[in-house]
Order: sequence, then C-alpha cells, then structure tokens
Amino acid sequence: MTVIARRLAGHLARGIVMILVVATISFFIVNNIPGDPVAARYEKLLEGGMSPEAALQATKVMYGFLPSGSMWDQYLAYMGGLFRFDLGISITRPGQPVTDVLAEAAKWTVLPVLIGTLLSFLVGVIFGVYAAIKRTSKLGDTLAISGSLLHGIPQYILAMLLVVIFSTLIPLLPPDSPVDILFEPGWNSGYLGSLAQHAVLPVATYALSAYGGWILAMKSSVVTVLGDDFILAAELRGMKRSIVFRYIARNAILPLFTILALSLGLLLGGAVFIEKIFNYPGLGLLLIDSINLRDYPLMGGAFLLITASVIVANIVADLFYTVIDPRVRGGEEAS
Amino acid sequence: MAKQAPGVRIDGLTVVYKTPAGELPAVRDVSLELKPGTITGIVGESGSGKSTMALSLLNAVQPPGRIQHGSVEIDGLGDVAKFRGEELRKARGRHIGYVFQAAQNSLNPLKTVGKQLLDLGRSHGVEDLRALVREAKDLLGRMGLDGARVLDSHQHELSGGMRQRVGIMLALVLNAHLVVLDEPTTALDMITQSNILKIVREVHAERGLTTLVITHDIGVVAEVADRLAVMYGGRLVEQGPTREVLADPQHPYTRGLIRAIPRLVGDINEAQALPGRPPTLATVPKEGCVFRERCPLRMDVCDTVDPAAQAYGERIVACHAVDSAVKVPSREGEHA
Repeated sequence: MTVIARRLAGHLARGIVMILVVATISFFIVNNIPGDPVAARYEKLLEGGMSPEAALQATKVMYGFLPSGSMWDQYLAYMGGLFRFDLGISITRPGQPVTDVLAEAAKWTVLPVLIGTLLSFLVGVIFGVYAAIKRTSKLGDTLAISGSLLHGIPQYILAMLLVVIFSTLIPLLPPDSPVDILFEPGWNSGYLGSLAQHAVLPVATYALSAYGGWILAMKSSVVTVLGDDFILAAELRGMKRSIVFRYIARNAILPLFTILALSLGLLLGGAVFIEKIFNYPGLGLLLIDSINLRDYPLMGGAFLLITASVIVANIVADLFYTVIDPRVRGGEEAS
Repeated sequence: MAKQAPGVRIDGLTVVYKTPAGELPAVRDVSLELKPGTITGIVGESGSGKSTMALSLLNAVQPPGRIQHGSVEIDGLGDVAKFRGEELRKARGRHIGYVFQAAQNSLNPLKTVGKQLLDLGRSHGVEDLRALVREAKDLLGRMGLDGARVLDSHQHELSGGMRQRVGIMLALVLNAHLVVLDEPTTALDMITQSNILKIVREVHAERGLTTLVITHDIGVVAEVADRLAVMYGGRLVEQGPTREVLADPQHPYTRGLIRAIPRLVGDINEAQALPGRPPTLATVPKEGCVFRERCPLRMDVCDTVDPAAQAYGERIVACHAVDSAVKVPSREGEHA
C-alpha cells in the first residue's frame, strides 16, 4: 500500500507540473493566434460612430471583461485563476464561465463515449480471445476479419451508414440531437428514455469503430501468451481448462489496459465527427466552434481539459498496473 | 491407482510433425522400457527428438505434431497415447509429473506460487487444500527452501535454482510416481546443477518414483541415471545400464559422444568433436541408418537398411557394424 501511495504522490506532482506547462504553452499559443474578437467588436462599435468610452463600456458589458495589461499580467491572472478552477469567461457566450460551458458540453461527450469505449473493449476482448484460440477455424477467421473491416472503416462513414440504415431505411432510431425537446429534463422516465433512445446510434458508432482495434490487439496478445511456456506447463500439470483460460486471459489483457487508459484519456476530445453527425453538443464540437470563433478562453480551457484527462488517465493506468501486475509492484519508482 | 513406482513400456513410438514437405518423423519407431523405481536418462543433441519423446509420455506432443504409431503403457493407467480430454488431463499432474527446463518460465507471472498450487489442487479435485499446502511446504523444505516464503512469492522473485525446485515440487505434490524431467539443469550454474541433481536423486529414492531425465549433458545422466538411452535423429541407437554404456559404448555415435567430452585431467586435445552435424527433421534419411553420414564404420548395407534394435544381454544397440553377422532384419519381426 505504501508503494502505491508513494507512486501516487510522485505521479500527482509530475501531473500537476505537466498540466501547468501545458497551460502555459496553450495560453501563449492561443493568445498569439491572429484575430481578436473583442478588439474586432470594439473597432466595429467605433466605426458605428460610438465614442471610444461608450464603445469600451459596451464591449465590457458584452464580454464581462476586457483584456488589459501586458501579456505577462494576463498570464499571471490566468494561472492564478487556474488554481481556483476559474478559466475565465467565454467570449462567444458572453457572461458564461468557461468551466460551466465545458461542464455542460462534457455531459454530452463523456457518457456516450465512455459507454461506447467500455462496450467495445468488453466485446472486443472476449471475441479477441476466441479469435486467437480458434484462429485456425472459420469462426476465428470471421471474427478477425470483422475486426479488420470495422477497424478500417472511418468513423464518420460508419456513423452515416448507421443513420442511413437505422433512421432512413428502417426508421427505428432518431438520427440526431441528444434528446426530444418534448420532455422535461430531469429524472423522469420519458426524458431518460428519450436520452437512451437517442444515444443508441452514437454509442453504437463509437463501439463499432473501436471494436475492431480491440479484437485485433487482443487476438495478437493472446496468441503471444499461448506460446508462453507457462501455459504449456499448466496444461502438463493437468490444470482445468477454465483455469488455463483464466491464466491466458489475464496475462493477455495486461497490455490492453494501457491502450484502454490512453483512449479513455482522449475520449474528451476525440469525438468530433460523431458529435457533428449526430448533433451532440459535446466537447469535440465545442472545441471546433471555439477555434472557428476565436474564443480564446474556451479554446484554452478545452485544451487544458483534454490534457488533464490524458494525464489523469495515465496516472490511473499506472496505479492500476501496480495493482494487477506484481512485477510492476516490486519495481522501483519510475523516474 | 499407481501409488507406487509404475513401470512404463514405450513400444514402437513414432511421432510426426506436419511440415510443408509432408509429415516428418521426429521420433521413429522407438521402444523403451522404464523399470519401476529406476532413473532412466535419455541423451541426445538438440533436434534428436528427446523432448518430443518426453512429451509423448504425457501424450502432450504439441500441434503440428502428433503420435502416429505406438503405445505408451503406464502401470495403473494404461496406454496414455490413447487418452483424450478429461482422462488425459487427470492423468497429468496426478500420475505423471513433468518438470520443465529451468530457463523456461513454467509459472504464471501474475500469481504467487501458492495460488498456483491451489489452482493445481482444485484442478485435480483435492479436497484438503490445507494438507496440500503442508505437503508443498514439506517438499520445498526438503529441497532446502523456506516453503512459506516461496509459496508467497511470484516467479520473478525466485532465482533459477529456486524456480526449478518449485517445478519439482509442483510435479510431485499431487503424489505422482512417474516423473519426467526435461533438461532439469540446463541454464543453471554448476553448484545449483549439482544441488538439483542431488535433490532429484534423493527425492526419487525417498518417494519411490520412476524417473525419466532428458538431457543433452551426458554428465547429468552419468550422475543420476541407472539406465541410459542415446537418441539420434529420432531413433534410439543404444540403451543399457549407465555404467556399462559409459564404460563400453557399442554404437559408434555413443562412442563419439563420450569421446567428445573434455576431461578435467589430461590433455584437452584428447576430447574429439564428432565430425559433421546432426540431421534435422528435413534431413533425416528416409531409409538406411540415420547416423551413417557421420559414422566411421559405415558399410554398404547402412545406406539401404535401417538397423533394428538388437538386444545383447542388458544392452540394446541398433547398428549393423555391431550386429557383426549383418543379417538383414525384417521390419515386421521388429514389431511382433
């Protein structure tokens, strides 16, 4: 337990430093992108014949703040805010704190992607084991080919394919928007049911497009483990099939947890196509919009959120390994 | 069931591997008897088929290989070459113990030795798992290890010599009385080697086992085995009591093998390497003697007729030159 605590402390310290570095970099990059909507607004008001004071006032009212002082002062203010989880105010959504905008969008991203990823992981891993064990039979071949095929189809094509099949040809499921507006948001069955119904296609798209990668990765991992001496040893000691199967699965799944952690870390930013096609107001769309509209605080906030989630996912993965792999547990602290 | 040292009769065993060039024999028409309570050593170079032979005792030849002919009769069990499925699984571990080469990782790296011991017990329906753990600790203690500590360890926390002792423990803990050791001391240092061999000898005597040791090291056999069998190109070319065979080898291959060992005393040049190289699966001659390419006693008949194993007292040799009468043996007669 102390090993885990020591590791956790080390990781947290490194993670915080990394987040600060990324925050710094994204602050300076974002602030040096050409085009400034606040200045543009101010100029426009001036052109409209307003006095400079009135224009300044109007801009201030509209955006709730004005970038003032040197870049360094702004940087300090930004970093200071960061420690209070204050990422500033969105420019394109006047008056709304960036954290609120991000939280609202995250709601529409995290759940579908999380469910989709975990579902595809589960199914892909199980099928991957079968594809490996039955690799000389038709079933194994079919599974492996299904994996390659789905892995090869781009996500947006898969999404449109599903929409065409299940919304147009067979009108079973709604093709867009996360929920019917008829229902009152809240914990009532109508609203939740509508949410679930609308989520089927996006989740299926995530799951199907990720499934191919899992089945192929698991298959090759299982094939490697099958060649290991200890599997033959277990068989020669007369171990039950079910126990040998567990030995294989547990050893083969280890490397996949790294990939799972990384893909979960990226889930916050990686769903642009699906959100666009299914009209989900999630983080991917938000990021694209903020870049298009030069909403610096929002952009910076979104970058930071994605960075932080990747770093956190890595920490979680490492700690998880400490628990599941005894060889990592005994090893000295990575430095 | 076989709770005393069983005898084993391997008869006419042929094991083939499927290759692009068809099914090629790795072990061909081998007959060998393991007498109850003895240690038999099989010596051979890499690729001579000795490991395939060892796996055949558990009917565990791995695909693309398979037992094509022959039987492996074990007292109290029957012909394991005919065993399938659950019957075979239950024989392994409980009746036949198999010890892997020390360098091979024969343990699940994610589980402690103790947990794997419990898995083994559950696999074989052992009801009193506490007694099993006690037995394992006894065995480990007997081999000079701290049983409790070892059972609580993972593979990566054990040295090669310790792993090998754990392997021996797992092979014996279910009270198997036939034990197959495949290269038990390869990749161990000299001190550990001699320790392991001492343990093998002592445990063999104490528990009353029938033991088969597979090795490429004739020194190992000299140290532990009562009987010695020499394999070459998938054939058993000579077998007999260890002392006799070492003192007076009959087959030219056995002679070459013994002459190739460097001595601690005397001129290093006395050791003479056997010229040529052993055949591989693909280059084993289809007819005639497998050793003729490297044989100093080669005769015409060696090119066409595979020498049959002939008994000379306790010694069995397959060589035309030894069988000085050079009578052409009938293949049918050999199986009868």
